[in-house]
Amino acid sequence: MFLTLASAALAALSLLQQIDTTVTVRTGQRLVVDAYGGEIEVKAWGRNAVRVEADPGARTSVEVSSSSGAVSVRTEGRRGPPSSVDFTITVPAWMGLDLSGVYTDVKIAGVRAPITVETVQGEVDVDGGEGAVSLRSVQGSVALRGAKGRIDVHSVNEDVRVSDASGEITAETVNGEVVLERVDATTLDAGTVNGDVGYDGPIRNGGRYSLSSHNGDVTLAVAENASATVTVSTFSGEFESDFPVPLRETRKGRRFSFSLGTGSAQVSLESFQGTVRLVRPGHLSRNDDDHDKDQDHDADRHDR
Amino acid sequence: MSDQWTDRLSEYLDDELPPDERSALEQHLRHCAACGAVLADLKRIVTRARGLEDRPPERDLWPGIAARIGAGSGETRAIDLAAARGRRRWSFSLPQLIAAGIALMAASGGAAWLLHPAAQSSVAVRDTIPTTPVVAGGNLSARNAGDRSRIAGQSYAAAVADLERVLTQGRGRLDTTTVRVIERNLATIDSAIAQARRALAADSANVYLNSHLAETMQRKLDLLRQAAALVSSVS
Repeated sequence: MFLTLASAALAALSLLQQIDTTVTVRTGQRLVVDAYGGEIEVKAWGRNAVRVEADPGARTSVEVSSSSGAVSVRTEGRRGPPSSVDFTITVPAWMGLDLSGVYTDVKIAGVRAPITVETVQGEVDVDGGEGAVSLRSVQGSVALRGAKGRIDVHSVNEDVRVSDASGEITAETVNGEVVLERVDATTLDAGTVNGDVGYDGPIRNGGRYSLSSHNGDVTLAVAENASATVTVSTFSGEFESDFPVPLRETRKGRRFSFSLGTGSAQVSLESFQGTVRLVRPGHLSRNDDDHDKDQDHDADRHDR
Repeated sequence: MSDQWTDRLSEYLDDELPPDERSALEQHLRHCAACGAVLADLKRIVTRARGLEDRPPERDLWPGIAARIGAGSGETRAIDLAAARGRRRWSFSLPQLIAAGIALMAASGGAAWLLHPAAQSSVAVRDTIPTTPVVAGGNLSARNAGDRSRIAGQSYAAAVADLERVLTQGRGRLDTTTVRVIERNLATIDSAIAQARRALAADSANVYLNSHLAETMQRKLDLLRQAAALVSSVS
């Protein structure tokens, strides 16, 4: 498939000059960016074209090429690793994105297509995305707003936040919070080891919702008309609810279930040693003040 | 924490109960939140297991696995992965949850193990897995629970050890801050695993503790796999 690449290849090699290249695109092409460090900012416009702006400096070359399947942008060091390059890339809103980097922050706005982002030390901030949306950072927060589809957001050492989104959602980190607000999930897997987890959004009939933490609190916003079978599990934590719940029984090991409405959705709330809490919609964020993470984590946030 | 129906839930999930018993169990489930919770756990494990990728092995793993568990060369034959997936049963009794959970993790970890460049050896690529899966979710009922747990634990430990070796050997290629962050988060997970193990030692039949331990161990494998992928990407 890549044998067809050469015919439409465009190369922009820079020594000192700023790159400003515009490539005409057609439906079905994706944008693939392979960067090393710096920032990738992607914006949407109404033209069927991709505009790449960058200032790579003397030590790094930037290559822009186009094939039937993708417009590719990659950096390469002239001697050793590439230096940091800040990209501003403008794409049609329908264009899928596949962006990766090492020391790379990624910011995307206005794209209504599948998005994949992977970075190691960098923040990921996305407004938009439709279809498969996968955002990953090892040491950087991940924030996603306004996405629809199959959403997969991961960090390791920072927070994960999703808002105004809908679909099948997986949101995980190890050392950070997982917060989902104004989210309409049909299925949800949200978890962390050291941090709080919260979900504020509709609980759909037949949906499956799993929120878990080891050290942190787990908070679920439940509307009055929700229909769910809720299972609460904790080892040494607590359970609190802002409203009465119909507990029929409690079980050894602090594990119990109750039904709301007809019990249509399956909800699992687990915290090994934190508090599992039910609140009404709109009251999720009040628990943020209680967040208590180890000092090492805070140190790492600023050690980049 | 169990009643006469608790141990029938996995048969129910496998659709193996006679119609009259199935009907009776469904009636029971309407009123027993405890069984409903256990059933939800079992469904969750099955869902996650089905979500694991059956990535074709990039080499025949069985000789290495057999050597680790002292099972000898064993009989191997090529099977169709899709067909095997379709035949899987998901029968678990409560004490088996931990074995099942770890086994499924080890299956996932085994694929991650292949990220090590050295593992991508010149051995011929074959879609071959052992006829008696050591780490697959199905066929767990072929051995007693203790054996299953032991074997699953060995496989998990082997997968973790391999990935840790990849990280150790490749740490010089990663940024020191990245290495420190990964190691600190692995320590966080290890601490959670240790706490879950201690809790489980006092209450071995606790469904939540079993599944929580399994999921936390899965997190460790996931992070190690991610770290190994980073090492591989800069090799």
